Amino acid sequence: MALAQSQQFKHQGAGRDLQKDLLGKYYTDLSTANERGQPVAYLFVPGNVVELLRVFDFAVVYPEINALQCGIKKVAGPNILKAEDFGYSSDVCGYVKNDIGLFLSDRQSPFGKLPKPDLLVCNYSGCNTFIKWFEALAEFTGAEMFLLDIPYLREDEVRAEDRDYIVRQLEELAAVCSRISGKPFDREKLRRVVELSAQAEDSWSQILHMARLRPAPFDAYFEAVFFMAPMNVLRGTEDCVRYNEAVLREMLERVEHRIGPVPEEKVRVVFEGPPPWPHFRAFWELFKKWGVASVASTYAKVGGIFEYGFRHDPHHPLESIADYAMSCYTNLHWGLRRDLIQRYVKDFGADALVIHSVKSCRSFSVGQADLREVFSHELGVPTLMVESDLADPRYFQEAQLRNRVDAFFESLEHQRLTKGA
Amino acid sequence: MHVAGVDVGSTATKAIVMDGNRRVVGKACGSTGASVVGAANRMFQEALKEAGLEEWEIEFVVGTGYGRYKVPFGHAQVTEISCHARGANFLFPHTRTLVDIGGQDTKAIAVGERGDIRDFCMNDKCAAGTGRFLEACATVLGLTLDEIGDVSMRSSKPLRITNVCTVFVESEIVSHLAKGERIEDILRGVHNAIAGRSVALLRRVGIEPEVTFTGGVSRNLGMVASLKERLQCEINVSPMSQYMGALGAALFAIERAENIPPGERKIEAAVAEARGGEEPGAHGGH
Repeated sequence: MALAQSQQFKHQGAGRDLQKDLLGKYYTDLSTANERGQPVAYLFVPGNVVELLRVFDFAVVYPEINALQCGIKKVAGPNILKAEDFGYSSDVCGYVKNDIGLFLSDRQSPFGKLPKPDLLVCNYSGCNTFIKWFEALAEFTGAEMFLLDIPYLREDEVRAEDRDYIVRQLEELAAVCSRISGKPFDREKLRRVVELSAQAEDSWSQILHMARLRPAPFDAYFEAVFFMAPMNVLRGTEDCVRYNEAVLREMLERVEHRIGPVPEEKVRVVFEGPPPWPHFRAFWELFKKWGVASVASTYAKVGGIFEYGFRHDPHHPLESIADYAMSCYTNLHWGLRRDLIQRYVKDFGADALVIHSVKSCRSFSVGQADLREVFSHELGVPTLMVESDLADPRYFQEAQLRNRVDAFFESLEHQRLTKGA
Repeated sequence: MHVAGVDVGSTATKAIVMDGNRRVVGKACGSTGASVVGAANRMFQEALKEAGLEEWEIEFVVGTGYGRYKVPFGHAQVTEISCHARGANFLFPHTRTLVDIGGQDTKAIAVGERGDIRDFCMNDKCAAGTGRFLEACATVLGLTLDEIGDVSMRSSKPLRITNVCTVFVESEIVSHLAKGERIEDILRGVHNAIAGRSVALLRRVGIEPEVTFTGGVSRNLGMVASLKERLQCEINVSPMSQYMGALGAALFAIERAENIPPGERKIEAAVAEARGGEEPGAHGGH
């Protein structure tokens, strides 16, 4: 960003630079974890229970993060082909096939060698592919797999019996972690870790709320999915708290100077669905051209919804981990997803909804056609639905996507002009 | 004043030259082929020839279709979705639902009173139910694309074509032929299958009368009949249906040209120069 070079700005680019350092260190540490004898756990991002694993000093690997990094670094395609050569169908999730491809390549990734797991914690059951994914990794590595069964959230509040059910499983998981790591379950340490998560959540929530401003100081989809990485990878650490505070300063500075992600904010949208990582830039350009600023996105909430009050609670650590696991975006019933998007549209002053549907993910994409129907026909929110894939570059057809995006914003512009007249 | 609309589609390229009274004075259509730029140039020149005009006399050109950014003489680009809606509104002002079946795309568009887009849906990344699907079927049966519609109209016992894949439908047709089924019954089934897919797409934007059918496939009478039967309503079709995108582009070009401040109009400058600085506006036009 040219802004960073300008004398006028002190904090621009700070988030990017710090993230580069922190994630660089994270991957370097991972590459030596096996040699150093540090226990390694694999974990999924949605509603994860990383705080508990930190108590036992596990190095934590997130295969979804690796998959999206491979997507950005353009190696997801070759990894996916390796998995397909091995026998996986073209319909299987692109993230899964990327990971299988990595395992077939001796876990060599563009960001270093990934460690072998000692424990596979399948912490989210809303996506049944996750279960099959870790079963495959258990087969590859012989690592122990722990299945956390998380009830689906169908009401506004988490039920007490569901919370108790998860807390009992967390106690069982703690026993497994203790056995593998050889460390006792230090409940005081858990409180400290949970406190750090809550601190990071406070600043992250402040950042997300800033997109209510006009112009929005950052793109709550295309930039938020970048800025959220430490929240997903490093939550429960001092580094994560420090990182979010740096991003907050960067955003406050943007607000002060009234600068945003596009030169002129013309259309404010809420985004649903993950981005096509292998073509991230090209996809963003399709929207930038129309002066589109995303003001809220659901994908940035897969790792938790923090704007409306949820925080990890050091006074009730396991209970709050249970609540967190149940209320991440992907674990919400369709009606709750609709309500959240509707709330975003209202609270963040959005003009339209954009849905990016993922070809190889049926469990997340299901219901998106209904969202389109409800928002465009019943709630009067113009809705664009486009489809490609989050990891498989073969599904990204730029000409077709451009056509749909252009036509949609053309029609919005036309409606605005005729309304004005 | 004259303007042009050039629609570079996946299969065919269409050009329309229009005068200031929104009358079509020249048109041309040919296959796009491998050179998008070449096709755009060729059709533009042909349309100009029909209109009896030179390129410099064209005030504004709007490019549309997949190749819209490759129209070298285009001043602006508008998607064919907007252009079809605008064109349909011009020919059939009561159009509220538009189905456009082209070479590789099927589009369902909900159209507002002013020809604006209220909603639209397109087929996924697959050519099933498009012009290519018909072309594949025609090839297997040894017929041309222009013949199959009429042949299908002779059917008395339409067959059910279940395949939605443009490639695999060929083997389904071959198996019907092997069973001794009649070509017209197979073709009726093919047309009904496409109509079924198109209507499913239309339902996603909502079907309100009047329905207008555009795109290259709308020239096929068998397809018109199948759509009517499935929708149970009348459908607007025009001999200009294939040109609808280019027509809409020309209409957008007129609007843009009219918004150019008088002193900056290209043609006025050119005329003024040609006449040694005479007042613009003296040009009689065609």
